[in-house]
Amino acid sequence: MMRSRFLPRAALCLFALAFAGQAHATDDAEPVALTVLLDWFVNPDHAPLIVAEQQGWFEQAGLEVTFVEPADPSLPPKLVAAGRADLAITYQPQLHVQADAGLPLVRIATLVATPLNALVVLADGPIRTIADLDGKRVGYSVGGFEDALLGTMLESHGLTLDAVELINVNFSLSPSLLSGQVDAVIGAFRNFELNQMDIEGRPGRAFFPEEEGVPAYDELIVVAHRDRLAEGPDAAALNAFTGVLERAAAFIVNRPEQAWKVFAASDADGLDNELNRRAWRDTVPRFALRPAALDGARYERFAGFMRARGLIDAPPALDTYARQLPGPPR
Amino acid sequence: MTVLPRALPALLVLLGAWQLIVVVASVPPWILPAPVQVVQALLEHRRTLAVDAAVTGGEIVAGLLLGTTLGIASAVLLCVVRSARRWALPLMVISQAVPVFALAPVLTLWFGYGPGAKVAMATLIIYFPVVAASVDGLRYADPGMLDLARTLGAGPRAELWHLRLPAALPSIGSGIRVAASVAPIGAVVGEWTGSSRGLGHAMLQANARLDTDLMFAALACLCAIAVALYVAVDRALDRALYWQADRLHLSSSPELLLR
Repeated sequence: MMRSRFLPRAALCLFALAFAGQAHATDDAEPVALTVLLDWFVNPDHAPLIVAEQQGWFEQAGLEVTFVEPADPSLPPKLVAAGRADLAITYQPQLHVQADAGLPLVRIATLVATPLNALVVLADGPIRTIADLDGKRVGYSVGGFEDALLGTMLESHGLTLDAVELINVNFSLSPSLLSGQVDAVIGAFRNFELNQMDIEGRPGRAFFPEEEGVPAYDELIVVAHRDRLAEGPDAAALNAFTGVLERAAAFIVNRPEQAWKVFAASDADGLDNELNRRAWRDTVPRFALRPAALDGARYERFAGFMRARGLIDAPPALDTYARQLPGPPR
Repeated sequence: MTVLPRALPALLVLLGAWQLIVVVASVPPWILPAPVQVVQALLEHRRTLAVDAAVTGGEIVAGLLLGTTLGIASAVLLCVVRSARRWALPLMVISQAVPVFALAPVLTLWFGYGPGAKVAMATLIIYFPVVAASVDGLRYADPGMLDLARTLGAGPRAELWHLRLPAALPSIGSGIRVAASVAPIGAVVGEWTGSSRGLGHAMLQANARLDTDLMFAALACLCAIAVALYVAVDRALDRALYWQADRLHLSSSPELLLR
């Protein structure tokens, strides 16, 4: 997609350079268009992307970025793999499943560097520890690995998956818990659903997977098609993209209040609400401050976990599905 | 059964073409699995798929029974009670503008994650076609016969029972046929919204895990249920309405479709 558009542009640019003599390639070059598929509707998890866009930093880096919100969070990586979009925001555990299934996807950056996923129950409910889930109903959204997560958490308390009834609630996590249809939900985001429940007057209690036997992982990552990572204009654009992410993450951590105002002003219809304000506060410490940096051992550890849970066969070589780009030129 | 022998060659040709396209164009399995892979998935997961099919099939049949019963009852009520006709019919037509899909999450909250919500969804989707077809049948009874009956002193009840209802049966039959073919939509929409079993649940799960072949296998089961249900309902209706001359000899429609 981008390749076919870029080559004529690059040629034009060279032409301009040769004949105008003093043209500045970076200033005059037309921006490279990048379509970024988000994992979900815009929320504070996407802050670095939105803030960078608002501040004009993508534009300064020669990128013209378009964000698209999907109807189904499992779709964006597939669309990128099929060449229908440039980048997708997705989840590290899904990446391992996708790599196992042969999707030509490579992680190029991390957005949120800790798990956000949590097992959530009502704070005033009967479930005080994970062991209390014996015989209860647990709601989940089909992400493809929630049962593995829950299974591990249960096993660390002497239970197995058979001890609970798993019900797919298809992203109605808080409603199903608040209405009492299920006793717990897995797949709730600790920065989002917990605040949502608190605002509704029914605070929740969270159990964190990484404290209950699940290896830590990156909740939100950026993936690109493998073919786009070779040398050339595509790779340069992706490099520039990760550079902008780093700049935005630093800005958000340094000036959370100012960054919130930028984020909230980015959309007239409703980012500036109580839920997002609270979620913002809880998300800021979790953004990857070195978005391009790849902790290979951590990825391989998680691949091992996915394999042990039977979600993937033999994990492919790390280099085929996760890479660290060299970063933008100085 | 003459249905199967006739359907088989056409089906095999289609499957062969599908397999050929996948192999020749080397389509990745996560975009479009080959029929052979789908059959393998079908065999490999036959136990769980059978359980899922039973769950979904049960929801569809329950929704069909409930929706048809409620639909016919409502139509009779509309026919008998004039004020119901005046006030409820427009409302019923307007209610059809509400997409059932949008109601699915709410129905799930009300009826829970068990079969209730799915049956409710199937019932809702079936209800209107049955009401519409039944009302049409009831109101287009032969006016000459109605006049004659009234002259002979027939009351409204006799008129309904001996004239309008028998005249409406073929229309009601059409409504039920439509209902049988749309009922699976309701059940699957319900399962997509929230479930722990059923073919819709299996499809969601397979989709998230990139088991596209298993997704197609579940879809194939769903198609089989839908076709079997339609054929069964169609046959049963033909038997029940035996006096209705079938001048086109459509009585065993699948044969017609494949003839």
